[in-house]
Amino acid sequence: MSTTDKTSSSHSKSLKIIGDEIWKNKTEKINAELFAMTYGSIVSQLCQDFQRDYKKVNDQLFTMGYNIGVRLIEDFLARTAMPRCEDMVRTAEVISKCAFKIFLNISPQVSNWSPNKEAFSLIFPENPLSEFVELPMDATKDLWYSNILCGVMKGALEMVQLDCDVYFVSDVLRSEQQTEIRVKLNKVLRDEIPIGED
Amino acid sequence: MSTPPIQTGQVLTSQQKAQQFKLFEDSLPKVNQLAFQLLLNEVVPLSMAVEEKVFDDKIQVNESEDQTNQKAEDVDNSDASNITKDIEDKLHITPELDLPSHVLIHQISTTNAEKREGVIKRLQSIGFNIGSKLTELLVFKNNPNIRFKDAEVLLIMKFICRDVWKQIYGKQIDNLKTNHRGTFYLFDYDYRPIRNFVVDGDISDPSLLEKETSLAQPFLEIPIGIITGVLSSLGFKSEVVACKASFVDKPDGTSKLNFPKGVSFHIQIVNQ
Repeated sequence: MSTTDKTSSSHSKSLKIIGDEIWKNKTEKINAELFAMTYGSIVSQLCQDFQRDYKKVNDQLFTMGYNIGVRLIEDFLARTAMPRCEDMVRTAEVISKCAFKIFLNISPQVSNWSPNKEAFSLIFPENPLSEFVELPMDATKDLWYSNILCGVMKGALEMVQLDCDVYFVSDVLRSEQQTEIRVKLNKVLRDEIPIGED
Repeated sequence: MSTPPIQTGQVLTSQQKAQQFKLFEDSLPKVNQLAFQLLLNEVVPLSMAVEEKVFDDKIQVNESEDQTNQKAEDVDNSDASNITKDIEDKLHITPELDLPSHVLIHQISTTNAEKREGVIKRLQSIGFNIGSKLTELLVFKNNPNIRFKDAEVLLIMKFICRDVWKQIYGKQIDNLKTNHRGTFYLFDYDYRPIRNFVVDGDISDPSLLEKETSLAQPFLEIPIGIITGVLSSLGFKSEVVACKASFVDKPDGTSKLNFPKGVSFHIQIVNQ
């Protein structure tokens, strides 16, 4: 039992070490500029296709992300051998210190916890998707440029039985103070038991 | 780590230059290759989903023209419904999701010719965009490999085989063939995005391979776009370039575990 009462700080420290280690030694890497450029090409094509209806672009980016997230989680679990998280606090730490570190080499800050500890924000000091990006005037109101990230998190969390809402609160691209994504737990999905076995 | 100190003023050998370039490359910000690969592959189902929506919209526009008169009468009621819609928008942060990716990929090979055309055009356009920007990224980096004299097309092809492919797919093109009169064949026997693709079924059944290649075909449209994009940014406009891709047999000695076919890009540059 003694291992379970580790303080949260030692938990998060070891997570950071796990994340850094996997990023450094077990990850094939590519140029971040190429990644940003590719994403930019996708977004600009979508804006063209939907004739600058940015709400539709947001939705499309989200669902694209969702489809990526449901597959990305497999790789993540295989790479980290991470057990199930006991609560959202732990989940948030894993997302920020391991998942974002391993895939995008960033560690967004976790903050703004709701009193019941079921909703939190991720603050992004840097965002490899929107490097060198400047939005045209008409897009700054409605477009969430990096909305794919919300979709990825939604899809990945759903696969570990956490039904969450994930959405942008603010983005520096819209000349707001910081880039913030909110994650809110709706419910923990139950393990399905096959009929007749109970 | 063991780089010999380079003195200023001294002319660097090409080996030193290459070494220096590699150090520089390594120092650039990086992200996970898998994240990039997933993103790039997801563009294919995305294009299909968008095609469906844009296509539906076109039909709706035609219908709504007939209904404009009717709509004018409904204006009085629309305010109230707008407000409820706003509230609904706020409550439903998660948009309605598209079909899963594998279903969408399947749809590309079963849909009608017009939609498939649209999907292919969209994929090539995204690739074109990536290609033309990638040239800038690579050319302005002092890469000792790059030397374009008079925009000689063979040098540009070598640039695509070596630097562009390496940057995007982490490997070089396996073979380049040319007749020196504007026709080029680029062979990739282990094309990365489809490396792990496999369709469940009996391996001895010839129709299985056919099914696999027809499902994987759309994944060749992005590199076609990339190649034309690179060529275009280096002076060969897309009007004079024709690029096609097809599956070819792998030569002996290459891995049989991965996707059973190699890819050949056929590039034709029309005399200007």
